[in-house]
Amino acid sequence: MLYDIRLTLQYDYDAPVHGGRHLIRVAPATLPGVQRLVASSLTIDPPPEQHTTFADFFGNAVTAIGLMAPHDHLEVGLSARVQVDDPIPPVDLTPSRSELHAEIERVWSLAPDSPHHFLWPSPRLAAVPAIADYARAVTPQAGSVLDIAQALCLAIHRDFTYEAGATDVETTPAEAFSMRRGVCQDFAQVMIAGLRGLGIPAGYVSGFLRTTPPPGKPRLEGADAMHAWVRVWCGQSLGWVAFDPTNAILAGADHITIGYGRDYADVSPIVGMLKTHGSHEAAQSVDVLLAQ
Amino acid sequence: MRKPSTRPKAPSLISNYRLHPGVPDEMIDPAGNIRPGWSTLMAAFDQLGPAELGARFERADQYLRDAGVFYRAYDGAAGKARDWPLAHIPLLIDESEWSIISHGLTQRAELLEAIIADIYGENTLVARGVLPPELIARNTEFLRPLVGIRPRSGHFLHFCAFELGRGPDGAWWVLGDRTQAPSGAGFALENRVATTRALADIYGDMNIHRLAGFFRAFRDALFAQAGPEGGRVGILTPGQLNETYFEHAYIARYLGLVLLEGEDMLVVDGQVMVRTVAGLQPVSVLWRRLDASFADPLELRYDSRIGTPGMVDALRHGSISMINALGTGLLETRALAAFMPRLCRAVFDAPLELPEIATWWCGQPAEQAHVLANFDKMMIGPAFATNLPVDDPSGTALGSTISGEQRETLIQRIMRDGATYVGQEPVQLSTTPVYLDGQLQPRPVTLRVYAARTEKGWSIMPGGLARIGSTSDTTAMAMQRGGRAADVWVVSSNPVERVSLLPREGEKLLRSPHGNLPSRAADNLIWLGRYTERCEATLRILRAYNARLAELSKADLPILRHCREFLDTIDVDATEPMPLGLLASIDSAVHSASQIRDRFSPDGWLALTDLQNTARRLSEKVTPGSDATRLMTILLRKLAGFSGLVHENMYRFAGWRFLELGRRLERGMQMARITAWLTAREAPDGSLELLLEIGDSVMSHRRRYSVTAGTQSAIDLLVLDPLNPRSVLFQLATLREQIETLPGGIEDGQLSPAARATLSLQTELVIAEPADLTPERLQRLAGDLGALSGLVAAAYFV
Repeated sequence: MLYDIRLTLQYDYDAPVHGGRHLIRVAPATLPGVQRLVASSLTIDPPPEQHTTFADFFGNAVTAIGLMAPHDHLEVGLSARVQVDDPIPPVDLTPSRSELHAEIERVWSLAPDSPHHFLWPSPRLAAVPAIADYARAVTPQAGSVLDIAQALCLAIHRDFTYEAGATDVETTPAEAFSMRRGVCQDFAQVMIAGLRGLGIPAGYVSGFLRTTPPPGKPRLEGADAMHAWVRVWCGQSLGWVAFDPTNAILAGADHITIGYGRDYADVSPIVGMLKTHGSHEAAQSVDVLLAQ
Repeated sequence: MRKPSTRPKAPSLISNYRLHPGVPDEMIDPAGNIRPGWSTLMAAFDQLGPAELGARFERADQYLRDAGVFYRAYDGAAGKARDWPLAHIPLLIDESEWSIISHGLTQRAELLEAIIADIYGENTLVARGVLPPELIARNTEFLRPLVGIRPRSGHFLHFCAFELGRGPDGAWWVLGDRTQAPSGAGFALENRVATTRALADIYGDMNIHRLAGFFRAFRDALFAQAGPEGGRVGILTPGQLNETYFEHAYIARYLGLVLLEGEDMLVVDGQVMVRTVAGLQPVSVLWRRLDASFADPLELRYDSRIGTPGMVDALRHGSISMINALGTGLLETRALAAFMPRLCRAVFDAPLELPEIATWWCGQPAEQAHVLANFDKMMIGPAFATNLPVDDPSGTALGSTISGEQRETLIQRIMRDGATYVGQEPVQLSTTPVYLDGQLQPRPVTLRVYAARTEKGWSIMPGGLARIGSTSDTTAMAMQRGGRAADVWVVSSNPVERVSLLPREGEKLLRSPHGNLPSRAADNLIWLGRYTERCEATLRILRAYNARLAELSKADLPILRHCREFLDTIDVDATEPMPLGLLASIDSAVHSASQIRDRFSPDGWLALTDLQNTARRLSEKVTPGSDATRLMTILLRKLAGFSGLVHENMYRFAGWRFLELGRRLERGMQMARITAWLTAREAPDGSLELLLEIGDSVMSHRRRYSVTAGTQSAIDLLVLDPLNPRSVLFQLATLREQIETLPGGIEDGQLSPAARATLSLQTELVIAEPADLTPERLQRLAGDLGALSGLVAAAYFV
C-alpha cells in the first residue's frame, strides 16, 4: 500500500509566547519488512531559530525546535509518502504466561526492543490494580500470550465507548478505565496496563490510520486524527505483535507507524515548554490517502 | 604554648567513659587503650576543665548561628529551617587507618565509574549476565534519554560520597554510595571551621590534615573542564526550599562558582546559556545538586518546574559538563549492593578492598528464599530505594521487629514481587564519644567520606562528616531517629601541609568576569533593596505617629487620622502597635535575601534575620504610643545596621548596583508620595513638621530655612535639594549614575530606555520650582518612578 499523509498541528496562543522549545515526533518510521518512508517534509511556522534532529532511546526520529522570538501561534505541517507492506498473519506458536516469564528472563539485553522495558509502570502509566483484575477476568487462564492479548483487545472494544472529547491527553488510564470511554490513546493505555498487570510486556505505538476504507469495508474509528495502538511481546520466536483495541483488529496495512514507547509520554507527537502566561487552543487535521 | 592550669585538677573525662560491651569504639581500642591522637585531645580537654570546655563549645555553636548555617527538615512543619546540630568532639582517625579507607574508596569510585559507563554505553555487564536487566529497566533512575551520550569530560562521576560504618570486626564497611548529588561537603567545611573556633590551640598543636587542598584540587578540576576560553562554572541548585540550599550557596561562595537555578538558563543551539544582566552567557560546567530527572522537563520528568528545557540536548551536543552526569543516581539503588562484589570481579578481576554490607536481592529465587528463611536476622527494605537504610525510617525495618498481619503481608509481597525487596545484614556501628552534661558518652557513628576527580585522579577528602546517633543503640537503624554531626580529624604523626584557597605565590590570579550576575539574582537584589527601604519608610512614619499618639494621647486628632489614612494606602494598619503590613515587608526582604545567600556576607544575613526575629518577638508584647515608638527606634537602628554593612562592605559589582537601584527607586517613590499626602490642601496642622521628621530633615530645615516649616521650604528640602540624601532629586541623581553604569546603560553614546527615562525625570526636577510641585504632580512623579522600575526589569530580567 502506498500512502500520502498530510498532518497539520495548529496552536493559537492567547498571550504572546516569549521563547519555546518543542520536541516533535510525527514522521512515519522505516521498519524493515513492515513499512518504508519514501519521502517526508516538515514545515514549521513561524520558522524556528533552532532546529535539530536526533533519534531517541526507542529509535524514534525526533525534531527539536527552539523559537526565540515572541510568537502567537505555531503550526507544524507534515507531508509524507509511505509504503506499507501487507502483514503476514501471525502463526500462534506463542508461549503461555508462565512460559513467557521464563523467556523474558532469558533476554539479557536492554536494547530498545527488549521486553524488559515494557513490563513496569512508566511515566504516564502507573500500575492500576483494577485494570489488572479486569484483564484477568476477560482473558483465558490457560491461553497462549497471543490468545490473551486478542481476548483483552476484543473485551476493551466491547466494553468501552469510543467518544471524542470524553478524555484529554492528561486523562490517566485509571480514569479512562472507570468511565469505560475515551479515544484511541485511552484504549491503548488501558490495554497496556492490563497486559503489564498480567506480566506481559506491552508498549505504546503512535501513528496514522488510513482515512477512507477499502471499498466495502467500514471506516475505522480514529481515522480523522492521529492514532495510537498497542504492541505486545509474544515471546522470542514471534516477538512483537501489534493490536488496535480501538478497532478490535490486529494492526495491519491500514496502520502507519510513527514510533514506539512505553506510553504516550515517550512518543507524543509534540511536547513543548513555553514561556507564557496564557492558555492556548489546539487543532489537528490528518489525511491519509492512497497515493495515485 | 598553653598556660598550665591553676585550677584544681578535676577527674579525667575519660575515667567515666563507659563502653558498650562488644561494640568497637573510636577512642578506645579493643585492648582498652586510648588510640593515638585521642590521648592528646583528652589530655587537652582535662587541662581546660569543664567550665572552659563548655564555654568553648558554646563558641562553636555561636559561630554556626552567626554564619547562618542551617538545613531544612522535611518532616513536620513544612520544611522548617533548623540550626545545624554540631557534636563538638571531632571524630579522630589515624592516618594509617585513613589510608586504607582512602585506597578502598578510590577503587570503589573507579568501579562505579566503570559500571555506569557500561550501563549507559555498551551494556556488556547485562549481556554477560553480571547485572540483571530488570534491575536497570525497572529503575526510575535509569534515564533512557541519556543512553548513548558520552559525557563531554569523558567521565560520568566527578564527585561522590560514601557512607561508612565500623563493624564489630573493627573494619570499616561501606553502607552506601552517594552519586546523584552528594550533599554535606559544605557542612563538613563548616564543621571544621566551627570546631576549630572552639579548639584552635589544640588543633594547631596536633597534626591534623587540612581540607582546603581537597577543595582546591576539585575547584581547579572544574575550571580546567571549562577550558581557558570556556563559559561559566556553576552550581545547579533546586532553589532555596531544598534541604541543603545553605550548602549550595556556601560552596558557591567558597569556590567562586555561580549559583544557578534551572530557570536561570536556556539552551540555544545546543549550548546552555545563563540569562545575566549583561545578556546571555555560555555555561560550560554545572556541579549539579538537583536530582537528574528534574533537569529537563522536555526529555526527563515532564512535570518538573525547576529544570531547563533542552538540557539533555545540550549534553547530546557535548557543550556542557555535568558533575555528575545525569543518570548516575542509578548507582545509589540499594539492590545494586548485592552485585558489587561480583561486579568488582567482573570489571577489575579483583575483590572489593572495602567490604560492603551483605545484601540479597529478592528478585532471584535463591536469594529470595534465603531472605525469607532468615527473616528475623535481616533488615528488609525497598530494592529500588536510593536513600540509605539509615535515612529511611518508613521504608526499611528489621525483620525481627515486624510481626502479626504486617509480617504476613510483607512475606506475601516478597513472594509475589520479590524484585522490589532486598534483605540486608543489620549493621552494628562503632561508638564515638560525645560530650553530654559534662560527661563523655559513647554514641553510634557513621562516617561520610567524599571523593573528587581531580586532574591527578580521584582525591579523597582527608576528613568528612561524622553522623552521630541520638541514643546509645548501636544498630544502624537507630540512626533514623536523627542526631548530630561532627568534624572528622585525620591525625598524622608528621606536620601537615597548610593549604588555603587563596592563590599561591607566583600563581595567576583568577578573576571571574563582570556581568556574571544571573538575572534572577539581580531581580531579587532589586526587591531586597526595595523591601528594606519600604520597611524604613514605614518604620519612620509609624515612629512619628506613635510619638504623637503618646504626646497627645487622643487617637482621633486630625493629624493622627490623616497619618493613619496614608498608612492605610500602603496596607499598614496604624491601630495595630506592630502592623502586619510592616512584618510582611520585613519577611519579604528576608525572603528576597534568602534566594541570593551566595551574594551576601554572613554578617549582612545575620543583621537582617536579627531584625526579623526582633520584630516578631516583640510584636506580641508591644503597646501603642511610647512603647511602640521605642520599638520602631530599635528596629530602625537594626535596619541601619544592615544598610551600613551593605554599603560599607559589599563589593561594587553589578549585584550591589541592583540593590542600590531598588533602594533608590523605593525611597524616591515613598518620599514623593508622603510629601504629596502631607502637603495636600486638606492636610491638617502639624503635617509639615511630621513630614520633616519622617524625612529625617528637621535639623537641615532649621539650618537652611527657619524654625517654622512652610510648604515651599519642605518641598524644596525633601524633593528638590540635590544635597539632601533623602530628597527625590538626590535619588534620581544616584539612579542615573547607577543605570548608566549597568551593562548596556550607554552604548555608542546611546542611552538605554531606562537611562533616558531617568535623565528626563532628573532634568524635570532640576528646573522645577517648589510651587510647581503640586500634590498631583508629586503623585505622578511616584508613578513615573514605578514605570522606571518596569523599564529596568524589561531590560535585565526578561
